[in-house]
Amino acid sequence: MNVLHVNNKTSNISCQRHERLEGYLDQDANLLVLIIDTNPIVWKKSSFPLKEALRHILVFINAHLALKHDNDVAIIASHVGVSKFLYPIPTHENSDKTIFPNMYQKFRVIDEKVIANMSALFEDVDTPNNYPDKASSMVAGALSMALCYINRITKADEIGHVKSRILIISVSPDSPYQYISIMNCIFSAQKLCIPIDVCKVYGGDTPVFLQQASHITGGKYLKLDMPQGLLQFLMIAFLPDRYNKKYLCLPGEERVDFGAACFCHKKIIDVGYVCSVCLSSILNLICSMFGVYKT
Amino acid sequence: MPTVIVAHFKTNIYEYLEALQKSTLDKLYEEPATCLAIFRLLPSLARQLVMSLLFSTQIMSKADLRQCIKNDKESMSKFEEALDKLQKLHIMIEQENKTIALNSSFKQKFQECLTGGGTHQSFGRLYNKHSQSNSHKLPDIKLLDEHAKTKWEEILHFMVGTDRMNSPGASVLKVVTKANLMREKEGKGLEITNKGFQFLLQDVNTQVWAFLIQYLDLASEMLHMNVVEVLNFFFMLGSLELGQDYSVEGLTDTQRQLLDDLTNYGLIYRQKKSSKRYFPTRLATTLTSGNSAIVSNAASSNLTDDDDSATEQGFIIVETNYKLYAYTNSQLQISVLNLFCNLQYQFSNMVTAEITRESVRKALKHGITASQIISYLTSHAHPQMKKRPALLPSTVVDQIQLWEMELNRLVITNCYLYKEFRTFADYEVVLKHANTLGVVVWSSDSKRMIGIAEAGHERVKAFIKRKIVQRRSNGGDTTSSASGTPAR
Repeated sequence: MNVLHVNNKTSNISCQRHERLEGYLDQDANLLVLIIDTNPIVWKKSSFPLKEALRHILVFINAHLALKHDNDVAIIASHVGVSKFLYPIPTHENSDKTIFPNMYQKFRVIDEKVIANMSALFEDVDTPNNYPDKASSMVAGALSMALCYINRITKADEIGHVKSRILIISVSPDSPYQYISIMNCIFSAQKLCIPIDVCKVYGGDTPVFLQQASHITGGKYLKLDMPQGLLQFLMIAFLPDRYNKKYLCLPGEERVDFGAACFCHKKIIDVGYVCSVCLSSILNLICSMFGVYKT
Repeated sequence: MPTVIVAHFKTNIYEYLEALQKSTLDKLYEEPATCLAIFRLLPSLARQLVMSLLFSTQIMSKADLRQCIKNDKESMSKFEEALDKLQKLHIMIEQENKTIALNSSFKQKFQECLTGGGTHQSFGRLYNKHSQSNSHKLPDIKLLDEHAKTKWEEILHFMVGTDRMNSPGASVLKVVTKANLMREKEGKGLEITNKGFQFLLQDVNTQVWAFLIQYLDLASEMLHMNVVEVLNFFFMLGSLELGQDYSVEGLTDTQRQLLDDLTNYGLIYRQKKSSKRYFPTRLATTLTSGNSAIVSNAASSNLTDDDDSATEQGFIIVETNYKLYAYTNSQLQISVLNLFCNLQYQFSNMVTAEITRESVRKALKHGITASQIISYLTSHAHPQMKKRPALLPSTVVDQIQLWEMELNRLVITNCYLYKEFRTFADYEVVLKHANTLGVVVWSSDSKRMIGIAEAGHERVKAFIKRKIVQRRSNGGDTTSSASGTPAR
């Protein structure tokens, strides 16, 4: 069953009303879910190596944690064919609690875990090799995992204290095969009032789906011309939480390319038909679900 | 009139830091732990501004920064407030050529804090286990919590005046008298002041910080301790891990002196006086985080070792019929409740009380304000209450505020009453003159009476005497009195 809403306007209004009811306060704890696109092939093509980018990202994570004691972070790697949690991962063995006097404990623990888990992720070469489409990464999977995690945390928090948002750092182009899944994730995020920000570090063609994601959920989309300045861009544009965003003018792109992918051939189309029964966008007059339709 | 009420512990520390000189602040900013702690005290827009400038090498001016802010009034006012606070703490410095930049030592050390560089060991030096020959039993978190609770409550019990065997040490008494929380009574002993009553109703973090800041003043005046080192130690305590032992080496002499006093307040636990290591308690680790520091009896059994942000279990339920139920056995909390409610019955696990006009007036006379009572009830509300739309019943909240306003119904002003003016003209003349002087408190045309404030009494009296002298001299002159010219 395809659940696809064509008209976004009503959902936008309900989200705004929700915002006004919730009211972002200074005392809220912020949960930032970071989705890092780790497709090694695309990173190799770009002039900016993944190792360097990871350093910038770790300092950014520390900055987010430094803002408030209650702030928390979750990091998901969107790899070729699979998406995995880098932090937090429940471990069964008693992790050694070595204290490092030169660094704030919370920063150090998270940084170490992210680096360790990412190395483990890259050591496993079988899954990416078996996956057919090596040019894209599992953004849809990562988004779903992020939304489930946020849902769990929000349900566990009774006072309504934790406010969450998602930031995607992306390099690979869109995969039309993931169109439906991404759209479903976007609409769930919109219902839950979770803004999705997108930072495009490298990539020639505009990612249609991620742009739409940030537009619909009230986030920001930013394409970097200078990847070496990643940290500074992250600090200025993506660090302010939802309380501060009310007062700041942030850089971002306003023009959105509302493309869609057809459901039958998974091609990105500008003009097409819509099935009147299931509202899926199709290229020809034959809907894969319900047969031939004459308009 | 009650003295300035401290709402949040941040304002306490903030005012203290503002009063320091630039050179002291520069020295403070050399420790990354201090930079992090002070950073977390700033308002949120200020924090964002610092982060934006932290890693940039561009030269910015105030106008550049202003462009990042939206153009409406609220955003602009928040921006000005943030900038003002940053400049007062010398974190942002405006240079001669109108550019604005971060304090260079703050910038460097805060960068180190975020990237983990440097060899400052500012986040607590760990105790080296290998050098220890016989290992004593390490205290677990329960013991640390017990220790913190007993020591801190000792001080509070002493203030409330419950009969207890051991009174706190001499240094505590000194701090308490200096902070004007208690004062010398005739004969021996100390009695609690109005400010002390207000102190009792605040949350633990505010109390601890108020105490520490008074201790700082005392330390710098009488014991000649280095303020910078003491502050650095406090802020470092805020970043330590609960249940971990830290080594005494690497602390300066001033900081070692501190350890004794801090053990007395319950912030640190040491196995014996000469021990080479110390354990921070929950009071210490939550110094800069704003989470609750004392774990009440009900909650402590549910905590695991990893949970270091314990939320204080509230225990008060307030009903719309002004009845109050407190699920506690702690003598201290019952004594605090006694300050503003009528205790009725005590059961094995709870106490019932009633909020009445007399009990609230008694509290108001002691200098406690209605807002303090309400914030105390809100912060200690039972989790069941949190499920209601409004935490406390609005009837009770409004009534407490009305009782407070009752005390302000009558405002007494001392004045001199001028009455029995012979003619209306006389009355008018005096009234006009007094109005120009601005000293009229009250006047009544029908009764021909004027109330003149104390400040203006002498001048009006002199004026009237002059008028009487004038009239006598005029009356002696027959020509003008025959025509009946009124005296001007």
